[in-house]
Amino acid sequence: MYLLSKIRETILCLKAGRVTLPYPVNPRPVPERFRGRPLFHPDKCIGCAGCANNCPAREILIADQCQEMRVVMYLGRRCTYCGRCADLCPEKAITMSHEYENATPKIADIRQDLEIWMGTCQRCGRCFKNAGPLDQLMMKGYRFDDLSAELWVYRSRAYLDKEPVVKDIDIELG
Amino acid sequence: MKGFVAAFFYSVLNLVLVLLVAPLFDGITRKVTAVVQSRKGPPITQSYIDLMKLLIKEDIEVGDSPVMQRFSALLSLAAILSVALLIPMGASAPLAGYADSILLIYLLTLAGTSVLLAGLAAGSPYSLIGMSREMMAMMTLEPLIAIAIIMAATHAASLRLDAVFGGAGYPGTHTPWSGILILGVIAFALQAFVGRMPFDVTEAETEIMEGPLMEYSGPKLALFKYARMAKMFVYTALFIALFVPRISTGFYLTDLLVFLAEQAVLMLVVTLIAATHARYRIDQVVRYYIILFILALLALLLAVLGS
Amino acid sequence: MGSRDILNKIRESYGASITRADIPADNRLLLFINRDSVKPLAGYLFRDLDARYCAGIGMDDRPYSGDFLVSHDFAFDRENVLASLIVPVPASDPKIPSISEVVPAASWSEREMRDLVGIMVEGCPNPKRLVLPDGWPEGNHPLRKDVPWNYVPEDFDDRKTYPFDDPPPGTTVVPFGPFHPTLDEPAHFRLYVEGEFVRGCEYRGFMVHRGIEKLADSVMTYNEIPMLAERICGICGCVHAVTYAQAVEQAAAVKPTPRSEFIRTLMLEIERLHSHALWVGLAAHILGFDTLFMQSFRIREPIMWLAEKITGNRKTYALCLIGGVRWDITPDLRAEIRRVLDRIEKEWKGVFDAVKGDRNIMARSKGIGLTDKQLVKDFSLLGPIARAAGVDIDARRDHPYAAYDKVEFNVVTQEGGDVWARIVVRVLEVFESIRIIRQCLEKMPEGPILAEPAAELPAGRIGTSSVEAPRGEAHHFVVTGEENRPRRWRVRAPTYQNLQAIPAMIKDQRLADMTISLGSIDPCFSCTDRMEIVDIRTGEMRVWSREELQAGTTTITRRRS
Repeated sequence: MYLLSKIRETILCLKAGRVTLPYPVNPRPVPERFRGRPLFHPDKCIGCAGCANNCPAREILIADQCQEMRVVMYLGRRCTYCGRCADLCPEKAITMSHEYENATPKIADIRQDLEIWMGTCQRCGRCFKNAGPLDQLMMKGYRFDDLSAELWVYRSRAYLDKEPVVKDIDIELG
Repeated sequence: MKGFVAAFFYSVLNLVLVLLVAPLFDGITRKVTAVVQSRKGPPITQSYIDLMKLLIKEDIEVGDSPVMQRFSALLSLAAILSVALLIPMGASAPLAGYADSILLIYLLTLAGTSVLLAGLAAGSPYSLIGMSREMMAMMTLEPLIAIAIIMAATHAASLRLDAVFGGAGYPGTHTPWSGILILGVIAFALQAFVGRMPFDVTEAETEIMEGPLMEYSGPKLALFKYARMAKMFVYTALFIALFVPRISTGFYLTDLLVFLAEQAVLMLVVTLIAATHARYRIDQVVRYYIILFILALLALLLAVLGS
Repeated sequence: MGSRDILNKIRESYGASITRADIPADNRLLLFINRDSVKPLAGYLFRDLDARYCAGIGMDDRPYSGDFLVSHDFAFDRENVLASLIVPVPASDPKIPSISEVVPAASWSEREMRDLVGIMVEGCPNPKRLVLPDGWPEGNHPLRKDVPWNYVPEDFDDRKTYPFDDPPPGTTVVPFGPFHPTLDEPAHFRLYVEGEFVRGCEYRGFMVHRGIEKLADSVMTYNEIPMLAERICGICGCVHAVTYAQAVEQAAAVKPTPRSEFIRTLMLEIERLHSHALWVGLAAHILGFDTLFMQSFRIREPIMWLAEKITGNRKTYALCLIGGVRWDITPDLRAEIRRVLDRIEKEWKGVFDAVKGDRNIMARSKGIGLTDKQLVKDFSLLGPIARAAGVDIDARRDHPYAAYDKVEFNVVTQEGGDVWARIVVRVLEVFESIRIIRQCLEKMPEGPILAEPAAELPAGRIGTSSVEAPRGEAHHFVVTGEENRPRRWRVRAPTYQNLQAIPAMIKDQRLADMTISLGSIDPCFSCTDRMEIVDIRTGEMRVWSREELQAGTTTITRRRS
């Protein structure tokens, strides 16, 4: 009985054959829904900042350079590949690609910068298309994330502010 | 003078054989284990590459007794290689005219104590635990091979090596009960002698972090690993020398090939058993050895009584 | 018996202590009581009404109500009720009597309350730090609302050490962890060893505490937290995301769509499959049986590929949102799931048949890591550990959530309470999970997979949820808040309760069995201590500070060129 279970185990093992895959010599394809590196398409982006508002890792920064120019910066360092940005984008400008071999010694390889030419809303200076009450940080207007320090700053205003932003977690509505 | 030259020549041959072939056998072991585990496994030459990699690393010493650490590493390989000089591998034992079975038993025990020295020299809590386990295991295990050799000597009525080897385990005339008994004992203990599952208590990786060998790295670890591979080779050779009747065709090379084939079969059995078993705890292991020890004493008694 | 009946029963004996009672649903009960009656009432619930202790939560509610809040959560398994004893603690006098004497399972929760929120628990049997590192300055409590989320204290004292107890006489100290091949995560068990036997142990953990709860109530929003929650654990991520979503849905009275409930159930069971297969492999590896380890992982791999096909990732499913799920099960996926399940079932049956008569494994696991029903009750042990000791609890059946009330399954129990019983329980639960997934595929209704809330979620509501993770019951406590994020989110993972029983489990066992006993609770620490040097000969101990460590690594190693 003891020997029998050992023989059974050995037969189990030998019936299975060898399962080692020849990766990385051969490429390994991924299924359709696989969430790899997000790719941002500047042609489709309307600069609504929905992706930035809902990134759990706060890795997408928004800063308004002037009345007409908004910079969207995807840093990608702490990106968790959750795909919320792609879900929420109203223009489908973000796709979750199938790239998973993303290791690189240069962090700049992962970063994606978009410069968006913006139209002006007469009332508030900017508009954001809500996806739902749970998908907004209620930040309307001009945005001032700290691009050089690569930090999120919870501050927005109805007007462009030339002063450097110092405080954090200070949401001003409208 | 001629005898001396022949002895020297065959000694070198034995040493080269052990040093060259032991890592190859280890590679085959790993490959067979991998097949059982449904994976591809490392290439057969991997053990050579591992040893080379360890040998070129920086030799770092930790702790209070670096000299003892160096000594135990060298001793482990040296002791096993000395045993290799006393075992026939395709020809008769090289130093058969210069040594007897008592020396063989001493050298086997010395090889076992090198691990104890290693654990003591390292001095960390886990290596001391591993060392105390090894000591308990050794005290009940080493006598088994000693009894086997002495029993063969009893049958051959001589302590000379060439009398003891060559199937002297079975006396010529009647049913060799003692021979069969001791064959069974050593067969069941072979797994333990070469330190494989289910008896690799001392090197229990997941329980005590490699035990006595925890503090060793680089060239010293290479020596310990080499000693372990050589141990597998030497103990299987000893088993064949004691229990398998020698087939002598007259040509050294064919004898050698037959010998290596016999070893390979033995090694395969050891590997398969190792791959399909979990590790036993030290108290279960010691209990197992004690039963074997009692059986071995019984076999010796039968041998002395002439059976 | 629902929550109303339980409330009436409590009112009979302790009516005077209850200041307010809320019944948000038939299976929830919120009792607001005053401080002095917390200990007798907790004892009454635990002993007389035979409730199970879930978690203790400390909360800084000063910006809203002016007080601290302490909640002791209890579960009535036979009556399907989760009850919370909520005690307001005035900010001027943040003290509360300890309930650890009558409810031993509460000891860690109380120490955590003290460390993180600063509520002094009087009469706590073990008043040492639990969560905060040793050098963290006194009087500084991170979960308070006035401490910013990215606060780094300047007066962090590197040289401060943890005051371990003295070893019992005649024993030597063997440090187990923070680095050990068996442990995937760092934890420190200070074992007191006599010969080969362990006589006692002291645990110092929380080395990988990441401040998740603080992030959730300061920085993240409701729909982002599930992405964080699924990273609490390296194996049971879906569980925490679902528990959180359910707690918020219960608090804000949001009903997820029926189809999404079935999808959540399906993904939870897929997670249970891969977790149990992984555990069997891990236990085999600890016992030195590498072949069973390799085979378990080979059998498990198609489940990971299946999860990747459904959700886009092998483990972090990114599945839950408030009100539903993100990924739908298409007809192709249905067929794929059925194929994978058939294959897994066949192979797992082969493993079970081979292993159940294996005396070699039994020799290493029978009689090891014993727990009895009293230990399970006292420390509120959960999951396969409780079920292997013969205690019939399972949150899927006792507190049905998602679609579990619509599927049939058995709860696997064994008598024995040792490692072998736990192995058998987990192997058999795999077959039950396969059965549940098949039923989900048949019974799943058509419809949308996400019910977006139409308005903002109301603030100040309390919600709790219990979900059966592969390791036991995971319990979350949420208070909804302003600005699209909760005011407090407390995660109590099952290993939190199970770890408290380790000193009792390994007492008078051999050192060699320490690892498999620890491994059998399937620990998921997701928890850095400094190096401690113990001189076995003199018994002298010294802890190295960071400077000494850095200096030591260069001088103690002599180089040979």
